[in-house]
Parts: sequence; C-alpha cells; structure tokens
Amino acid sequence: MPLFDSSNSQMLTWLLSLIIFLPSFGALVLCLAYRASDQSVRRFALLTTVAVLALTIWLAWPGTTPGHFTLGKPGMQNMVSHSWIPGFNIYYLLGVDGISMPLVLLTSFLSVLAMWASWPIVKHVRAYCILFLLLETGMLGVFLSLDFFLFYVFWEVMLLPMYFLIGVWGGPRREYAAIKFFLFTLVGSVLMLVAILMLYFSSDLRILSPSQLQASHVIVDQSDAARLISAGTQQHTFNILALSEMGQMSDSPFAKTMIWGQKLSLWAFLLLFIGFVIKLPSVPVHTWLPDAHVEAPTPISMILAGVLLKMGGYGVIRICYPICPDAGYSLAWLVCGLGTVSMVYGAFAALAQKDFKRLVAYSSVSHMGYVLLGIGAWSATAGLQYNSDYWSVGMNGAMFQMIAHGISSAGMFFLVGVIYDRVHHRNLDQFGGLFARMPTYGGISMVIFFAALGLPGLCGFIGEFFVVLGAWSYSKALAIIAASVVILTAGYILWTIQRVYLGPEYKGPHPEALVPMTRREIGIAAPLVAFAILFGVYPSVLFDYMKPSVQNTVNQMTTWTSDVKDAPAVTQEAK
Amino acid sequence: MNPNSIIPTLLATAWLLPLASFVFIVFFGPRMGRHGQRAATVATAAIIAACLLSFTALGLWLFQHPLGHAAHGDHAAAVAPLAGDWYALGSFGALTISVGYYIDALTIAMFCMVTLVASCIHVYSNGYMHGELHDVIDALAPLSNGEPMRRHGRFCRFFQCLSLFCFSMLGLVIAGNVAMVFVFWELVGICSYLLIGFWRERKSASNAANKAFITNRVGDFGMIIGLMALWASLGTFSFSEIFSQVRPAATEHRLQVPDGMIKLAKQGEVAEIVKRHSGDLDAAQKEIAAQLPDWRAQGYGYGLLMLAGLGIFCGCIGKSAQFPLHVWLPDAMEGPTPVSALIHAATMVAAGVYLVGRFYPVFTPEVLLVIATVGAITLFMAATIALTATDIKRVLAYSTVSQLGFMMLALGIGGWIAGLFHLFTHAFFKSLLFLCSGSVIHACGTNEMPQMGGLKRRMPITALTMLIGCLAIAGAGIPTVVGLSGFHSKDYIVAQDLSFWSHNPGFGGIFFFVALIGAAMTAFYMFRLWYMTFAGNPRDGYVHHHAHESPPSMTVPLLILSLMAIVAAWNIPFTSIGLDGLLHQAQPLGTAQTVTGQLVNVTMPAEHLAHAHENSLKAEWMAFAVALTGFILSTLFYGARKWNPDEVRRAFSPIYKFLLHKWWFDELYRKVFVQPALRVSDWVAAIDKKGLDVIADGLARLVEWTSRIDDWIDRVFVDDIINRLARWTYSLGISLRVLQTGNIRQYVIWITVGTVALFVLMSMYWDYAIAGI
Repeated sequence: MPLFDSSNSQMLTWLLSLIIFLPSFGALVLCLAYRASDQSVRRFALLTTVAVLALTIWLAWPGTTPGHFTLGKPGMQNMVSHSWIPGFNIYYLLGVDGISMPLVLLTSFLSVLAMWASWPIVKHVRAYCILFLLLETGMLGVFLSLDFFLFYVFWEVMLLPMYFLIGVWGGPRREYAAIKFFLFTLVGSVLMLVAILMLYFSSDLRILSPSQLQASHVIVDQSDAARLISAGTQQHTFNILALSEMGQMSDSPFAKTMIWGQKLSLWAFLLLFIGFVIKLPSVPVHTWLPDAHVEAPTPISMILAGVLLKMGGYGVIRICYPICPDAGYSLAWLVCGLGTVSMVYGAFAALAQKDFKRLVAYSSVSHMGYVLLGIGAWSATAGLQYNSDYWSVGMNGAMFQMIAHGISSAGMFFLVGVIYDRVHHRNLDQFGGLFARMPTYGGISMVIFFAALGLPGLCGFIGEFFVVLGAWSYSKALAIIAASVVILTAGYILWTIQRVYLGPEYKGPHPEALVPMTRREIGIAAPLVAFAILFGVYPSVLFDYMKPSVQNTVNQMTTWTSDVKDAPAVTQEAK
Repeated sequence: MNPNSIIPTLLATAWLLPLASFVFIVFFGPRMGRHGQRAATVATAAIIAACLLSFTALGLWLFQHPLGHAAHGDHAAAVAPLAGDWYALGSFGALTISVGYYIDALTIAMFCMVTLVASCIHVYSNGYMHGELHDVIDALAPLSNGEPMRRHGRFCRFFQCLSLFCFSMLGLVIAGNVAMVFVFWELVGICSYLLIGFWRERKSASNAANKAFITNRVGDFGMIIGLMALWASLGTFSFSEIFSQVRPAATEHRLQVPDGMIKLAKQGEVAEIVKRHSGDLDAAQKEIAAQLPDWRAQGYGYGLLMLAGLGIFCGCIGKSAQFPLHVWLPDAMEGPTPVSALIHAATMVAAGVYLVGRFYPVFTPEVLLVIATVGAITLFMAATIALTATDIKRVLAYSTVSQLGFMMLALGIGGWIAGLFHLFTHAFFKSLLFLCSGSVIHACGTNEMPQMGGLKRRMPITALTMLIGCLAIAGAGIPTVVGLSGFHSKDYIVAQDLSFWSHNPGFGGIFFFVALIGAAMTAFYMFRLWYMTFAGNPRDGYVHHHAHESPPSMTVPLLILSLMAIVAAWNIPFTSIGLDGLLHQAQPLGTAQTVTGQLVNVTMPAEHLAHAHENSLKAEWMAFAVALTGFILSTLFYGARKWNPDEVRRAFSPIYKFLLHKWWFDELYRKVFVQPALRVSDWVAAIDKKGLDVIADGLARLVEWTSRIDDWIDRVFVDDIINRLARWTYSLGISLRVLQTGNIRQYVIWITVGTVALFVLMSMYWDYAIAGI
C-alpha cells in the first residue's frame, strides 16, 4: 500500500491510529450523511467495522516486519510514540503485546458481529450507528494505549456511547439501567483517576536506567537519556511501562508510606482494583450488570459481555500487578477471594433467575470470577522455590478465559436476542420445545451453551481448567471451592436448556412467530460456534499469542518476589 | 514400518473414524436418504472399520509381545507400554498438558471390546430405531391439550450421537494422560446426556439426562481435586511420568511418596530453607533434597497421595454409578435401549472401573480399602433393589450397578486382573441382556414385566440368547471343568475375596460374604427376570398377541454377543492366547505384590496367591453353590411357582417398601442437596435484589437528597441573602429617590457639602502610601 511506504514508524502510527479512529471517522461520515436511508447507514457502519477487523488481522498476522505481530516476543511491539501534551509528559503512546493483541482482535471481531446483529434496530438508526462506532473507538483505544492518561481518556470515551445505547435503545427500564451502569463505572473511573494522579506525582523517570527508559519508549536514543537523568526536577510520567519498571524496583518510589501506615502502592492498587472489578464485574459491585444486560439491546449486550467486561481483567493484569506488585502480593487473598466468591455467587444467582437474559448475565459474573482467581493466584513464592510455572498456568488460563467468555457469552446473548426478536419475552418458564420448532437454532445453542458449561472440546473448558489447576498451588481451599462451581454451572445451564429447548411444545405467546433462523442470524452465530470449537480443540492458536507476554509478566512478578520481597533483611538495612 | 508407530496409528484411526462419521452426519445427515436412513450405514461402517483396525492392532501386539505363561509373582520384565504425545493443549515452562496416547495390552483389549460391542449395537439399532424413520406419535410426551405429540423422525441424529459417543469412549481409552482422560470423561458424559434425553419431548427423559450429567459432575468435582493434587505436586498428568514417580524403578516399583508431594506437604520448611539461602536456589535445593528421606520417613506427603487417589476415584464413583452417586443410572434407562446397552452397561459406566485399573499404581492400600468398601456397599444395595424392580430395564440397570460394584470390590482388595476380567465379560453379557430386553420391549411395547410372560414361544431367539445372558451373569459352569464367561470372572473375584480374608482375618470376611450374597442375589433376580418375561402363561393377552420375533438386524447381534458371553473368558483353542493372559501382561508394574497400609492395618494380598490351587478350588465351589441357590430359589418362586412371592412381600412389607423405593435415595438427595441448593440460589438472588441493589439505589438516593438539601440551602440561604441585598439596594434607591427633587440649587449644595466632606476626610487620613508614592 502506498500509504505505508514511508518510514516504519510513520506506517505504524497510521496503522494503529487507523484501527482506533477509523470507527470515529465512520461516525463522522454518518453525522454528515443525514439523507442516507437506514439500510445504507447500517451497511456503511458494518463496512467500517469490517475494515477495522481487516486492519487488526493485518496487525495480528504473524511476521517479524513492523506492522505484523512477532510471535514469541514477550514485550511490547509495534509501538507508536508521539508527544501529545508536553507540559505534563503526556504521550500518544500505543503498542500491542500478547496480552492486548487477542483482546483487540476479539473487540474488532465482536464489533462486526454485533453490528450485523443490529439489523433489527429501527429506532434512530443513524444515531445508533454513530454511537456504536464511537464505542468501538473507545474500546480499541483502551486496549492499545500505553499512556495512562490516554488510557483514561479512552476509558471515558467508551462510557458515554454505552450510556446512550442502553438509555435510548434499551428495554422498558432502560433509563434506570443506563444511569446505573454509568454511575457504577464512573465511580470506578474517578477512583482510577485518583490513583493515576497519585502514581504520576510520585513517579520519577530519573531513577530508571537508560535501557529501561528506552524499553519503555520514554526516549528514542541514549542522548535523551542523559538529558533526562540529569534533569534538575522530578520527571513525572504517565507511561505505563515506565511506571511498571519503577513499581518493580527494590527502592520503588511507590513504596513510600501514606495513609494509615500503608504504602502508596497499596492505595493505588486498591483504587485501581476497585475501578477494574466494577467493570469485570465482581461481587459485590456487580449489580449494574444484570440490569444493564436485561435492558440493553441484543448487540449491545454482546459488546458489553464480550468486550467491556474484559477491560476489567485487562486492567488488572496490565496495570495493577506490574505497577504495584507489592500490593498484589499482599492482597492476593483479596483478589482470589473475590474471584471465587463471584464464581459461586454468580452461579447460585443464575440458578434462581426466571429471565433468560438475566440468567446469562449472572453466568458472566460467575465466569469472570475465574479471571480474577487465575490472575491473582500468586503461587511463585519461596515455598514453591520461586517456580512460576503454576502461576503462569493460572494467568494464561485467565487470559484464555477472557477470550473464551467473549465468544460464549456474546453467543449466548445473541441467541437470547434471536428468540426475543420473535416472541418478545424472556420468561424461562414460557419457552420449551424450541428444538423442534427451530432445529438449527437448537443445534447452535447447544454448542454455545455447552461451551459456557465448560465442556471439554469447546472454548470454555480450557480457561476454567487451567485457572483451577493454577489456583491449587496458591490456595487449596479456594481451588476446591472453585472446582465445585462446575456442578452449579452444569445445573443452571442444563436446566435452562431443558426449559427452553426441550419438551413437547412451546408454552409462551406468539408461537406463530417461531420461524427458523434467518441466513443473517446463522451468519452471526456460525463464526462464534467455529471459534468455540477451534479454541477448545486447539487452544495453542491463542496461547501462541498470549503466552510469551503473560509468562513475561509472571516472570517479572516472580523476580520481584525473590529479589525484592524476600530479599534478606541485611541487604535492605545496608541500603 | 516400525510396529511401535503402526499400533498407535491403527488405534488413532480407529478412534477418529467415528468422529469423521459424526461430523459427516451433522452436516449431511438429514439429506442422506429418506429421513437420513443412510446415516446409519455411515456410522455402522465407521465403527465396524474401527473394530477391524482394533483387532489388527491386537494381532500385531500379540505378534510383537507374545503372551508369556503368566509367571506368578511380579514380572519385572513387563511389556513397556507405547506412550507419546500428539500435540499440546498448553505448555507452560516445565508444565505441559497434551493430547497423547498410552497403549498397553489393556488399551488394546478395551479398544477391541468397545468397538466389537459398539458394532453389534450399531447393527441392532438399524432395526430397533426404525420407528424414527417416519413421523412419530409420542404418547409419553403429551401436549397441553392432552393429545400425544407428533414429530418428525430423528433416525440420523441417533446415529450421529452414537458416533460421537464411540469417538469419546475410544479417546478415553487411548488417552495418554489423566487430563485427556478427564476431557473424554466429560465428553462421554455429554453423549450420555444427549442420548438419555434422545426423546427430548418427554419430561422424564430430559430430567433423567440432567440428573445423569449433574450427578456425574459431582464425581468430576472430586476428580478435579485429585487432578489438582497430582498437578501441583508432580507437575505432570502423563501416565508414564506419574507412574515412574510414584513407583520408581529404584524401589522395585514399590509405592513411594514422590518428592513433589513431600515438598508440597512441607512447604513451610521449604520456604524457610529457600529464604535462608537467599538467592542461591541451587544450594537450597540441595539442602531440601538432603532432607527428603527424613520427611518421607515421617510420612509427609502420604496424605496428598491419598487425596490424589481418592479424588480420581470420586470421578469413578460418578461415572461407574457407585454408591452414593449411583442414582442416575436407573433413571438413565429413559434413553433408547441400544443406548442403555452400549453406554449404560458395556462401555461408559465401565470407564470408572477402567480408570481405577489404569490408575492402580497410584492408589495406596488405604485408598484401595475405600474402593473396596464403596464397591461392596454398591453391589449389595443395588442387588437388593433389583430384587423388587418390575421394569425390565431397571432390573438390568440395578444389576449393572451391582456388577460394577463387584468390579470395584475386586480391584479394591488387590484383584486387578479379577476386576478388569469381570469388566470385559460383563460388557458382553450385559449388553446382550440389554439388547434382549430391547427386543422384548420392541415386541411388547412395554417395559413392565408383570405384563409380559410366556414370550418364549413368540420370540425363541430372544428367549434363548437372554437365557445365555442370564446364565453368564449368574456365573453358570461346572467347577474345575468349564463355564460361561461370567463363571470365570466371578470365580476370580471370589477367590481374591477369600485370599483377602485369609490375610485380614476379621473384617476381611465381610467383603467375602457380601460378594457371595451378591452373587446369589444376582442369580435370583436374573432368573426372576427371565421367568417373568418368557416363561409361564401370558399375563396380558394383548401384549402377548402382538409380540413377534425381531428382525435379523436385531437377532444377529444377539447371537454374536451370546457367543461372546459364552467364550469371552476362554483361551483360543490350542493356544494360551486369551483375555486372562492379556490382562496378566497388562498388569501395571509393582501392583502384583502384597502390600500393607501405613495408616490402616490392611493387607492387600498379591493376586497370584488367590490362584493357589486350594484357594481357587474353594472359591469355585462356593461361587457355584451360591449361584445355584439363587437359581433354585428363583425357580421355586417364579419358574415352578411352588411358592408365592406375594406372601413373602406381605410378610416383609417394610423391607419390601424400602427396596421398592430404592432405599429412598432420590428423596433423600432431593431434601439434602437439590432443595437447599435452590434455596441458597433464591437467597443469593434476594441478596442482589434486596441487599446490594438497595444499597446502590440507596446511595444514589442519598446523593439525590444531598443535592436536594443543597438546592434548598441555595434557595433558602444563599439566594435569600442575595435577594435581601438586592431588596436593600432597591429600597435604598427608592428612599434616595426623594432626594432627586430636580432643584439645581439643592444639587449644588449637596455637591459642595460632599466635596468639603471629602477634603476633610482626606486631610484626616492622607498618607503617601495610599497614593502609592
């Protein structure tokens, strides 16, 4: 492409910026196209998401040249850095690694499916598409940005379109659900902002070595390093990579004591963690999720469950642990405990639901609990002779679980939507016999629901199994409780299948509307089914991407444990 | 080509053929002939081909490893299994979970058994399921208006699920590691779920399917715990690696707590040592290694080893329907009868026994004692329930549970060969019995034995083959001369029981007597079944009148299986090749010696001791005697009708009711597990609605009120002050208005007065600082 002919860095800037801003550009075009018909607006929006998907696939394509993804490289790659607000050292800093790449792909992939699933929406189509595309920009921006300030901006950018998408196109209680979603997330992001500022003002680039500075993309060459290190005043930074380097140093600037004798890193960790677990969501801050899902239109539910929840997990793994390992170490019980409680609590709550969509929403709470448990299971301690492999299994499992849940939960919400579009109710007691009425739908549902149930051979199993295996080395009790969830999951999923798909006849209103799935609907569900099977049978497709980076994170934490946390008291006194 | 690579390839092909058939039928099934009739051909061809491949592999194996004359005692030069990996599911540092194979004589024998039985059942299903070739009117699935429901036939879907099952079952057998076993363990579970619920319109069928899967998941929960314990301590799931760690060659394959488990049990000390050697991990590891023998001698890690064993066994309890998780199997009879024969009699439910056999090297004597106890309870309880059941398939289901209990008991008291031998013979005669019952049900349209009777003239082949099945399961034979397959395998079990008793005087006798009583009951209820169905006079004229012999597609498999039921335990004439020898060869290293428990005083006698002439002769005659007793009693009650069973029933009414209600397990579980779980789920939902949501909404309302108060303060105080100020200014203006008279002279006076006053003020307060100078 001629566009990419100039230097590498310019090409990368274009590529990554296009991925993020192409949806916004599409939204802008739609703003101007006020005369376009609804159908052409939808088609244009779909085309935009497809273009973004193509670009992300380009980026993810294995290869060693810039613009492609180098498999097996643990650190960041394809980085783009431009000064944005020099007064505060704020950069337009983008990049991907094995942790963010699968999530970026998931986002653009689900955006295409969700946009295609938006066909039945007839109210204010143009506004809907504009907001949808803006949302996509926000999501991709969160996963790609490496500057904390930029990250925060995208985090907020994503919030508003979501609020309107639920609040305008939602169900009967949409205003309540939308404001609830908005306020919960806003509380989280305000706490996050406080933490960001705390970290910013205590950071100092001068304590980093030139190689660390270069690795973090703070500087381009060594001469800048000399200038920076010899600077007279503290050099604050929003650079997430640089902050991580500082957080893991033995004399970390975040180790200074703040309120109640606790370290700054602990408070920052807590504030960030609360912000992320609201998004994840974890008990007890999960109650926005069922309401938001029940009221949101089908495609928005797909995005919400498939992508937005993952930002919580992504934040914990990318930001909380690398920047504040100290707090992560001492609060591992909290992280894992919350994860386990969410798993059990969500499963029980799902068992009690009468509303199909609410049930699926609670299953999300339960499934995302695995993510917390897998990330938090800090088992690479002295007792295990600093063997990081088990934690790596857990954290890889957690990452896998995020992608797998993105596939299965988006699929489940879509399937609920398919039936809701026909009969306009979601009461679980008023279904039955759908298998006979809609055989293809029944078959697809079986695969997707079994994937959620964690059936081996489908995507849900790998994540759950690996997380539980990893958790045992951290805490036997938590691992056993977590393992017991397989019974509850089987309970609510099979009971749902029985009530909805099996039985002699359909028991609810509008039986005449139960027509087989349309070609469009099959087209949306089929890729989800295909990926559910692919990831279940050959998980290395994903592990090849995520493993080096996850392993890198785990190794950093392990090194920190052995060299900083467990460092003998003598050397600490000597300092 | 090297046989070491041919055999895995052959078995892998046999394994994947049914998968190919499944995929093919998923996409093209309905388009293959009318109602997908030819799907059956595809599935049957696939499994028969798999069967041929398996037997080829068996031939190759025997050619390569001829069966030695089973040396008594431990044969150290045992045949090394073929093990390898195909690809990794995930690999993290030193930890890998892979898809691979572990092939020894047991694997190949299982392949042959599974594919042979499955082939027979596929052929049989061609005839049995023909009702699904056209539209079906299902009276058992009434619509809300009371009419029976009509639906299209699902012939091809049945074969699709059968193929998937065969693939999963073979995968379970070929698996090279426990994780892969677990994967296929779940997959056979889901196939079982799909096939039990094949008539998904029936509430009873979908309930039974759910019950089967969820009950199995309870067992799987335990299995996951076992897996975690193994994984965290040994860092591998591979059979060969686990076995070599648990029974290293250095100890002559005696059970030893592996290093990893000791380190995990002593985690605290390990942490201290590592911290003491700050930074020098090698030195620390040396010190830990030096400590290991001491720790091992103190018994650290033994608990973990037991936990691993018990956990794995939990999975087996679920899958093999052992007490207390046996409740799902009788309900699973809601599925079509070929499914009951294949999955719930011959193969899947035996997978639990197979896994106990496969994982045998890891079980400590204490765990084996638990296995034996569970098996004994199961075999007794299920046999008693089978005495009173009237549904022909339920009798067989409880009989299956009871026979599986026999196998577990045998394995648990050190009888590795005895337990697995019974697994194979049972697979043949029990699938035969189920298929016969299917033939009967097919002919009569009912499962209830009280409506049958006198069918032997109507269906001679079925009656004969079922009689063979009954004789086989009862263990008919002439001691020391010859017997049907069940005679030999049951004899092994009783012999091992006897040997166990002699090594554990006292409680050892319990197992022996339970086994004998169980054997007697087996003979009794099986012949009760046969007499009620085939002998005597027809009890229901309509049923009898419409009964007919089944088509050849159903009777031919019956004949093949009845042949197997007779000869499965025999050696091929004029050779020493047979199941017995094959199992002797497959016996895992180190498990054929007498061992004693560390925590419990129990001795597991080596198996060859049971085959000592005196012991085995005693066992043979005892087994023969109890089977004969059962048979005679049954004949007196149901065959010759000398005694009236109703009188006995009345005399022991409470016991009868207890048995008829299956020991009240279903009711108990509903009260103790299901209802509380649902109640907890309601509480949780209520906490969300009435707790967390109220807090969140309350917080929102609090903010709202705060803003209202704020608003009120604004209006009442802040606004008021401003308003007052404004009002004052206004009224000041009003009051000053009187001064504006329009009189020039008056103004001039005011200006003068003002100027003078300013000057006076300035002269009083003037300072250069004010002027800024």
